[in-house]
Amino acid sequence: MKSLFAPNAQPARLVFTTMVIGQAALLLLLWLFYPMQLFPSLGEVVRALGDLITTQGLIQELWASMSTALQALAVATVLALLISYLTALPFFRPIAYAASKMRYLTLTGLTFFMALMVSSGHQVKLSVLIFGATVYLVTGMTSVILTTTQEEMDHARTLGMGEWRSFYEVVVLGKLDEMLEVVRQNFAIIWTMITLVETLYQSEGGIGLLLYKQNRYLHLDGVLAIQLVILATGAAQDYVFVLLRKVFFPYSSLGTSA
Amino acid sequence: MTALPYNYKDPILTLENISMSFHGEPVLRDINAQILDVTRPNMRQGQVVGFYGRSGIGKSVLCRIMAGLIAPSAGTVEVGLAQQPVTPGMVGFVQQRYPLFDHRTLHDNLLVAALRKHAPADARQHVEAYLERFGLAPHRRKYPALLSGGQRQRAAIAQQLLCSDHLILLDEPFSGLDVAMIDEVKRIIVEVTTMDELNTVIIVSHDIVTTTALADRLWLLGYEHDAAGALVPGATISPQHQYNLAEMGLAWHENVEAEPEFAQFVEHIKNEIRGS
Repeated sequence: MKSLFAPNAQPARLVFTTMVIGQAALLLLLWLFYPMQLFPSLGEVVRALGDLITTQGLIQELWASMSTALQALAVATVLALLISYLTALPFFRPIAYAASKMRYLTLTGLTFFMALMVSSGHQVKLSVLIFGATVYLVTGMTSVILTTTQEEMDHARTLGMGEWRSFYEVVVLGKLDEMLEVVRQNFAIIWTMITLVETLYQSEGGIGLLLYKQNRYLHLDGVLAIQLVILATGAAQDYVFVLLRKVFFPYSSLGTSA
Repeated sequence: MTALPYNYKDPILTLENISMSFHGEPVLRDINAQILDVTRPNMRQGQVVGFYGRSGIGKSVLCRIMAGLIAPSAGTVEVGLAQQPVTPGMVGFVQQRYPLFDHRTLHDNLLVAALRKHAPADARQHVEAYLERFGLAPHRRKYPALLSGGQRQRAAIAQQLLCSDHLILLDEPFSGLDVAMIDEVKRIIVEVTTMDELNTVIIVSHDIVTTTALADRLWLLGYEHDAAGALVPGATISPQHQYNLAEMGLAWHENVEAEPEFAQFVEHIKNEIRGS
């Protein structure tokens, strides 16, 4: 028990798991027995969740949003990797710099320009998401590339590798695990954007639209139920990414403090 | 103190008038040194040479120049029996922290180096031979993060040997090591020199005792003073700071550290460093 309050301590797995379960149980109990006036009770949220699933197609809407999010993430990752790797050439560095700064642009104004450029609502939604995710991914990925040390590059060069081969070995292959981590961390931003974009383009539905409707009619229990579903989906996605990292990059967690 | 018989043959590495400045500030100045292939009767072994210098004097810069990683502001570096201008990959260079590719297993680290010089089948054979010779075979499937300091160092040296042309440069190989580890590194260095007559290990270090015990030629990097006694910027190698330990009878002795002449020489070097 003492180890739970000691700085930098490494408590036993069982102790830590028990602590997490205890904290979650405490939170649920607080929710059950001390309901706040504005905050819906646990029972109301569970009922709203059931209703959303059975009558409003929550699962189908979630799937629609998730497939759009994954599609956007895949394209954004490829684009961001390309832009980031091109920073090896000085000519392309201003592009990466500009792309990184574009994360300050607001999406609301941007959707108008996207609507002018592409034909369907789905295309607008997708292009806004791709744009939004790409600028965040470029920021993370270029900072990973910037951690490359002269020692690492020199090491590759002393093995007779040319500049491109050294870059491929040290930056592309050597930092692929860190790039995956950047993608994992920035996937959350797509969920933030998708709820906004789906309210702007309502023709295709999606969990964002469902959330918007619940919010509009002040169904706070429904709002909370959807938020919890999004939270659980995000946590599951995080877990999948961690699993992928362990499977494809087993060296990644070696030599780091737990 | 017995000078053992030896002969010098062709040059293996030549530094000619090497100077290096960063932002107009000289770091190295007019460095001249030539490493010659040394042969000993009835012996088939390479050699060890050393460059001394205080911390921060520019030893790592000199290493990078000798490895062809940066071009000097002036002067030339020529390597090999053909005395060609150095390019990256011609001189194996083991940096201070023994870098390896962390995303590759030990076997793959060596293979990626061997493939630079050999066809795939040949490269695999070479890797197997080096893993055995350097006592790394049981660790072939490990990633570098799981290797001990000694294993990592051996792996880094093996990797460089697999793709360099006999010359291998070690930057501060004894830095931060305990006595047992220093002995281990010394053993590896001797092992490398016995692998091929042309194998030459260049140690760049501030560890006077260990480097002197291994080397047959030494160069001391230091600062010179002008006629008015002011320090001339840029470290260099003065003619009096070039030592032929073979000629002095301090090379290739089994337990040279125990010889009084060795202690005297080390003391002399220390005084020279203090005075520079």
